[in-house]
Amino acid sequence: MKLLKLNLSGVRGIVGQTITPELVIDFASAFGTMLPAGTVLVGRDSRKSGLMVQEGAVAALLSTGHEVRNLGICPTPVIQFLVRQQRAAGAIAITAGHNPAEWNALNFINSQGTYLNEFQGSELLDIYHLGRFAHQKLKKSPAVINELNPEEVYFSWLSQKLRTEEIARARFKVVADPCNGAGAGLVNKFFSLLGCELVAVNNEPSGYFPHDPEPRPRNAGEVASLVRATGANLGFLLNSDASRVSLVTETGETLSEEYTLPVVAGYYLQQQPGPVITSLSTSRMIEAVAEKYGVPVIRTRVGQSALIQVMLQEDGALAGEGSGGLAFRNFQPAFDGFAVMGLVLEAMAVQQKKLSELVKVIPRYHIVKDKIVCPPHRLHSLVAETRKLYPRAEVNSLDGLHVSLKDAWVHIRASSTEPLIRIIAESQSAARAQLEVDKVVAFLNRLLG
Amino acid sequence: MKKTLPLKVSISGVRGIIGESLTPQIAARFASAFGTYLGPGQVLVGQDTRPSGTMLKKAVLSGLLATGCQPVEVGVLPIPTILFLTHEKQARGAVVVTASHNPPEWNGLKFIGAEGLYLRRSQVEEFLDIFHQGEFTFVAAERIKSPLQEKNAGELHLEKILSRLKVKAIRGRGFRVVADCANGAGATLLPQLLRELGCEALLINTDLSGHFAHQSEPVPENLGELCRRVKEFGADLGLAQDADADRLALVDEKGRALGEDLTLALAVAHVLGKKRDPVAVNLSASMAIDDLAARYRVPVIRTRIGEINVVEAMLDEGAVIGGEGNGGVIWPEIHPCRDSLTAAGLVLEMLAESQKPLSVLAAEFKKYHLLKDKMDCPAELAFRAVVELRRRYHSEKISTLDGLKISWPDSWVHLRPSNTEPIIRLLAESRSAVRSRRLIERFKKEIKSIIRKLA
Repeated sequence: MKLLKLNLSGVRGIVGQTITPELVIDFASAFGTMLPAGTVLVGRDSRKSGLMVQEGAVAALLSTGHEVRNLGICPTPVIQFLVRQQRAAGAIAITAGHNPAEWNALNFINSQGTYLNEFQGSELLDIYHLGRFAHQKLKKSPAVINELNPEEVYFSWLSQKLRTEEIARARFKVVADPCNGAGAGLVNKFFSLLGCELVAVNNEPSGYFPHDPEPRPRNAGEVASLVRATGANLGFLLNSDASRVSLVTETGETLSEEYTLPVVAGYYLQQQPGPVITSLSTSRMIEAVAEKYGVPVIRTRVGQSALIQVMLQEDGALAGEGSGGLAFRNFQPAFDGFAVMGLVLEAMAVQQKKLSELVKVIPRYHIVKDKIVCPPHRLHSLVAETRKLYPRAEVNSLDGLHVSLKDAWVHIRASSTEPLIRIIAESQSAARAQLEVDKVVAFLNRLLG
Repeated sequence: MKKTLPLKVSISGVRGIIGESLTPQIAARFASAFGTYLGPGQVLVGQDTRPSGTMLKKAVLSGLLATGCQPVEVGVLPIPTILFLTHEKQARGAVVVTASHNPPEWNGLKFIGAEGLYLRRSQVEEFLDIFHQGEFTFVAAERIKSPLQEKNAGELHLEKILSRLKVKAIRGRGFRVVADCANGAGATLLPQLLRELGCEALLINTDLSGHFAHQSEPVPENLGELCRRVKEFGADLGLAQDADADRLALVDEKGRALGEDLTLALAVAHVLGKKRDPVAVNLSASMAIDDLAARYRVPVIRTRIGEINVVEAMLDEGAVIGGEGNGGVIWPEIHPCRDSLTAAGLVLEMLAESQKPLSVLAAEFKKYHLLKDKMDCPAELAFRAVVELRRRYHSEKISTLDGLKISWPDSWVHLRPSNTEPIIRLLAESRSAVRSRRLIERFKKEIKSIIRKLA
């Protein structure tokens, strides 16, 4: 089966199977057709297929008459920041985030520096399907400008947003694993701005991924042993475009990526009170934090695009989800791994606490995640079927099926990036959560035959 | 009727109008097909100066990368230089983003195979089959390579040309030259070649920003400025390249455009004077070539129209010089391709060694008058008309290698339906312009009456 997933923010697939030059050019042509005249930024993570995709995307944007600023290997949050800073018409970020190396994706960013909203996303798809692109005659070619070190202006902005001096005074020692992704190398600059001593692994933007570029405990073994061996204050894992972070404590405990949101929110809401925007699939841990500061939690569909739109509409203080991606009102409306790392350090410096101490105050929940491979044409109907398992429960069908039970919740949804059904349950008891997941998995397996 | 978009796929590649028929999608598909055809390896990628060149080049890079090839970007260079470098660097092939002398709103892709030769007809068919079937062998992500960039790769070509010329003799003359590069790729190398040959050169139309100074075919009606500058500058000669610098036309010291076919005649005369081996030219080249070959007692091989046909005959028959009557000189000593830089070097060497002005050297060939014309005719009727003419003239001395060529003792006419446009091309040569014109008019009339009967 060939994998190709379209969602509001872009198109994702396996290189050579579905991510081909022609598909890339078609989508980028549709994006160029949709955008007003102006400059479009193009950046990529470090994947080996990145240049193939980038050349196709740039060809299409030139063809639709747009000047292109080529940022090279560049984290997505930096691209998003530069769109606003340079008043660009939009951007394409070439990255498959946490997906393995054989994947790649085009992510489309509008002039506000956010992923396309629902209306823009469906307009893009309409133009793509119609196949009528605004190719120009090019009597004069738009320029392609290569920007060297595009991250510098971003880092100088970020270091003003953070309480840099207080962080520096704490003289932290940190371990970071950018997974040889777009954040590789840049972490040196970033942590030296914050006066931290850095122990980095997998820090070459080579596109060779020593483990899947997904920040989560399963991939954190190397960081945990380095934290212990070097006596570091904490460890960070990044995904391939530096938009998501997971944490490792000073004791070498590999925290679930679900912890990133409540840990940072516990400090940030104190400075910036306001609603917290999170997805239906994210842990209840955030409810306790929000309650402490008397702010509401608003649950949305899963994914950066949905969260950011609601954050902008509801003037949310922060938006984040259990994958470790967070955005902050007085930073930028984008999942930003550098802002997250900076705020974790700031929380520790300002409150003079160890990471394990910040974690300890968060109520313990146990989240269990599972997934079932499912043919794309049955994804949504099977998810809908699971309603039968919960005839009397309180459900939310904003994104798949979210069921609130007395002592647990379970969320069953079609992945927007792969042909999978994801099943997530959470409870204060691990056994209870596992039970709920097993029940749904068994039910779905029966339906799948 | 719906307007048809002009996308022309032929033996020499693909051409179309930017923003209409030639899109980045099509360029990427062609590059994917070519990468599939060649297999993983180095592929040179060059371009001419057209403003749409970068856009198309990027689409080509994407297609080549996806099929596992390693593109080597050589930038704006003359076509012959890219052909030469493909061989020199032992690349699998090359793609050149160019539409040769088509108007600026056009662009295209030319495909070059191993050893720096254009694809032969059979190779083109294999390659186009892959394109049309659309089954490309895209490699897995980890096998995708990064492109290389080569700056100044053209110097290797100049070095080779200079190593085969009598540089000292040419330098000794200190020629004054006016060169018109037509704002094409030739401007990247011709100035340096002239400098190395000790010429005092006035260069015009050397702007590489992609705006053709004039219609870029180096035919006399486009060379008004060059002729004037040659006189003003008191130059020994004028050189005119076409946009991709494979063809060369000459202007004599009196400021007269000599006609493209004369470049080949001069080059053949010069090379045969040094080495007596066969000559290969296409059916449309002047009878002056036959006279020269007779003088040096070497055979002339006549081929179908199309550079690759002449090149193949030259390689097969061990020809020492050859080319086309449109100013395309092929000297395999450098590389078997039409090359305006090589042609310029040969002409300068001839001037240096003969100690005669260009007008005197040219006078010898002035006795022939070659006229070119064309007439509109639907493609299907054009082929049938030519078949009918073959029947009518079968008792004359004819060649049916490419269309129909009828030869008389001191004149000939060549009728050829175009592969790319609904026209018939007519060429005639004789000892007087009036007779050549009369030959063309006579056959135009005859074709018209045949078409009337057929239609």
